[in-house]
Amino acid sequence: MAISADSLTKRYGTVTALDRVDLTVEEGEIFGFLGPNGAGKSTFINILLDFARPSAGSAAMFGHDCQAEGVAARERVGVLPEGYSVFDRLTGRQHLEYAVRSKDADADPVDVLDRVGVREAAERPASDYSKGMKQRLVLGMALVGEPDLLVLDEPTTGLDPNGAAEIRTILREERERGAAVFFSSHILEQVEAVCDRVAILQDGELVAVDTIAGLRDSLGGGTKLVIDVDGIQPGTTEAVRNVPGVETVTVVEETTLEVTCANDAKMDVLVELYDAGVEVVNFRTEEASLEDMFVEYTGGA
Amino acid sequence: MGWRTIARTDGAVTVGPRLVKFLLALPALAVLAAGYAYPLLGEEPITTARFAGFATGWFTGIVPFVGVLLGYNAVVSERESGAILLSLSLPRSRGDVVFGKLASRAGLVCGVLLPALVVAGALVVYPFGRLELLPFLGFVLVTLAYAAIWTGLGVAASLSVSTKGRSLVIAGGLFFLFVIVWDGITAGIELGLHEAGLIGEEAPGPLEFVFEIDPGSAFSRVVDGFIDPGASVGGPWYLGEWAALVLLVLWAVVPIGLAYWRFSGRDLA
Repeated sequence: MAISADSLTKRYGTVTALDRVDLTVEEGEIFGFLGPNGAGKSTFINILLDFARPSAGSAAMFGHDCQAEGVAARERVGVLPEGYSVFDRLTGRQHLEYAVRSKDADADPVDVLDRVGVREAAERPASDYSKGMKQRLVLGMALVGEPDLLVLDEPTTGLDPNGAAEIRTILREERERGAAVFFSSHILEQVEAVCDRVAILQDGELVAVDTIAGLRDSLGGGTKLVIDVDGIQPGTTEAVRNVPGVETVTVVEETTLEVTCANDAKMDVLVELYDAGVEVVNFRTEEASLEDMFVEYTGGA
Repeated sequence: MGWRTIARTDGAVTVGPRLVKFLLALPALAVLAAGYAYPLLGEEPITTARFAGFATGWFTGIVPFVGVLLGYNAVVSERESGAILLSLSLPRSRGDVVFGKLASRAGLVCGVLLPALVVAGALVVYPFGRLELLPFLGFVLVTLAYAAIWTGLGVAASLSVSTKGRSLVIAGGLFFLFVIVWDGITAGIELGLHEAGLIGEEAPGPLEFVFEIDPGSAFSRVVDGFIDPGASVGGPWYLGEWAALVLLVLWAVVPIGLAYWRFSGRDLA
């Protein structure tokens, strides 16, 4: 197993940042760690990297305990942490050379810089880079040595959508190579676009772990009906909500109903509207997105 | 070994700014000046062994000064900026980081002192002095150890707090206490106790030991006892040169050991 966490708990004084988190990440999968800001995602990663020590429980990478055997645990891992700063007075290329020396690797710094897209700035001091360039640089350092696991904390911070797409391409390439990827994000589209499995963390607790399809199924709904109507009378939403199989009903812009429900309930919803005398102008179905599920699981946080 | 990479990079980066080059030049100049002056001012016979006794006064202030200034920001500047997260995300331990930076900073100070001492020795021997090789080698070793002790104290300060400002205060405080005001404080205490009738003219043995516990006094005792034939160290065993040698070893090992122990248990993020 690339990562395994067993009842991992972290308390800061009276605040519980992580509450008995159990998690495994298999070799060769891309695993997304999702949660609102402050959920504890960075705390979890910091414990994996031994920047912080757990209050209870343990975590291991490739079977090496992250605290007791920290160096061995990080041997085959490439890391993009959060809250770092680049080394003062070293150029981008020197950062890569430092990583190559530290990991005793074969990589050519220029090739790596090219891959992450900061080659033009290689000879400039890294402290002059923009936030996005620094992220690319440190991702490059993480990729050195062909690690078996990449641990990335909010890797797309500071990158525009194109940059984020480039990162996702790199992550897929790494998975092709056989590496596992574990990354945290509060941006759902990033996770949705590339992950094999997803975990949702909120207030230190793991509220869901599954594939995206699995999460949809377990929500019991999975379908979102978007119905344009001619007018909504009082009691309409109540009536629709009472249809068996309906999960949520939301009114959008006064003439549109968004209903999440089980597949079989779709016709019943439309029938209910007809019976209530509401004219349906248009309707379409959508698969419930990760955002809907996220809101659902985290209670609209 | 992880620490070697760290030491090399840290050394190269530290020695860049002009201020650091200036600081490193100071103890070297002090040693060279002592080597130049000794044949002129010292008493016959002029030997490299007796030079040791002459010279210590010239740099027991400057070496600690440069040592703590070179050591105080060793780990803490990376910790304050967050660059330490980058360091530790690579496969090396906190011990590697600490040892690597200690080796780099102490290495810089010693690397400047060593050639200066050799040249000073040459200045003493030519044209009218006599080379006493073994004592001089001992003197070189003890001086380098003294430099390493004070750099280590600076690094220990940088391990024990989380901002550079606090580290400078601690390191500066250590320098101030043990180099600037120590003699004054101990003399004052001795006088006060004498006036109060608790002790006689001279402080009793154990009290004297406490008064001479600072690194500078231990350094002097080692030089007087082992190296300079013209001087000697009297008194009970705990005031002698062997005890002073042990004391120097403790100064080298204990502060940084304690600071590292504290540092290794802390959350960094």
